[in-house]
Amino acid sequence: MPSPSGGGDVRRAPGASDRTVRVIQWAMAGLAVLFIGGIITWITHLIRTAWRLGDVPSASIGISLVAIPVFLTLLGVILYVFVGLLGDRSER
Amino acid sequence: MADRADTRDAVLLAPIELTGRGFYLTVGLLSLLILWGAIAYWTQFDEGLGVTGLHQPVSWGFYVTNFVFFIGISHAGTLISAILRLSKAEWRRPITRMAEVITVMVLFIGAGQILVDLGRPDRMLNIIRYGRYQSPLLWDATSISAYLTASIVYLYIPMIPDIAILRDRVGKRKLLYTVLALGWQGTEHQQKVLNRAIAIMAVLVIPIAVSVHSVVSFVFSMTLQPMWHSTIFGPYFVVGAIFSGIAALIVAMVAFRKAYGLHGYLKPIHFRYLGQLLLVMALLWFYFTFAEYLTGYYGAEPEEMKVFQAKFSGPFWPFFWGMVLTNLIIPILCLVRLGRRTIGKVLIASLSVTVGMWLERFIIVVPTLSNPRLPFGEGIYWPTWVEWGELAGSFALFALFYVLFTKLFPVISIWEIREGREVGLKEVEERLLTYLPDTAEPRHAEPERGW
Repeated sequence: MPSPSGGGDVRRAPGASDRTVRVIQWAMAGLAVLFIGGIITWITHLIRTAWRLGDVPSASIGISLVAIPVFLTLLGVILYVFVGLLGDRSER
Repeated sequence: MADRADTRDAVLLAPIELTGRGFYLTVGLLSLLILWGAIAYWTQFDEGLGVTGLHQPVSWGFYVTNFVFFIGISHAGTLISAILRLSKAEWRRPITRMAEVITVMVLFIGAGQILVDLGRPDRMLNIIRYGRYQSPLLWDATSISAYLTASIVYLYIPMIPDIAILRDRVGKRKLLYTVLALGWQGTEHQQKVLNRAIAIMAVLVIPIAVSVHSVVSFVFSMTLQPMWHSTIFGPYFVVGAIFSGIAALIVAMVAFRKAYGLHGYLKPIHFRYLGQLLLVMALLWFYFTFAEYLTGYYGAEPEEMKVFQAKFSGPFWPFFWGMVLTNLIIPILCLVRLGRRTIGKVLIASLSVTVGMWLERFIIVVPTLSNPRLPFGEGIYWPTWVEWGELAGSFALFALFYVLFTKLFPVISIWEIREGREVGLKEVEERLLTYLPDTAEPRHAEPERGW
């Protein structure tokens, strides 16, 4: 994969303090965790309900065995990008 | 070099910096259609689904047709962007962003159709509280959630270097661009992170997208209804989705090429390649349609034949033959020889396919419900102004979202274009050498492993 370039010179947004920007950026990452965490909690709730009612829990477990890792991988990529890009800035 | 490139790509930033009269006119026109859709929805919300043409046994009509159609179009982003990116097709550079935007926008519109179809949107809470994974409808909810999340991430990550360009060059919306650029400065580490994330996402979105439309087809094929209970519905729907997705992408490309003067970026060669892809998909779609209908006809099961005849020569014949005309005959006539006027021919074929694929979704959903296996009388479905309003509003909302996106972000990936000029040419040359016999392998080429 070739390397992306662009965004060469760094200038601060007028009126927007670095701190505020950082807080919003980490809040975005937090929102992603909440969103995907919410979906995984929902899927788990459906397994629990199916289990409790004896309502073919195998279907819920089977589907969640695929769905949960997919959502976790997506979350992993999101956090990798946030930590990778924001972490690099704070190091310098 | 960088400065020259900046000037060359100024046209890509122009729609963000300047707003012409055409923009306001477009937004005004689309808003009128959306208003029609909003009034239609309010009427339905206030008075109930009785104001629509939906009834027993035809309980799914325009809304579910729209749902399948819009989710299908979302495959444009996956196919064009992810597959072309992975296969390192260099001509992808000016079109990937447009494709990815279509995916995200139509997924919102498509999923929204289910809310409209429910009549009472509060019933959505029942899915969250009491959903049962035995139902393919819940498989749909799960896979569409995964696809929407993946598509947003896959749209956003490759946009980061461009957002950084906007942060540094454009005088407005500084806070927005600064936040979304995630401190991008193009360092080696950041590039490594971004490349790896894009590569992972490109691999991940393909199976997710295929699963989404397979699952959409399961909503039909898991029932025992005539002409729905089919084992090939999964791949048939996926092929149709890719087919309609390419058509929608071409229409969007022609529109933005004209509106934003992108002639230098979206060249006839791009339309030629996409046109050829569209032609291949038209033939593939026909193959699946033929296989599907021939199997039903040969079996001649009485309930199946009722639906079959309703489509071929019964009340639904204009839709069925209209679908054949727009999905097969017109595209073949337009695309089989792309000598002169490539863009015009490809556009006509794409508009035709867009109409045809909507008809195809309609022809799958409604005739079966009109002639169900259960002992109902034959049901005739006539959409009312409410459904027409929702249809117009949905298309207009999609177009409005797209236009607003182009006012905030470049519709063509600037960094990928620059990279194509600076690195791509050399890389392609080196790669070409690895394909040819009796030429030296470039230094960074992978060593041969195994046999």
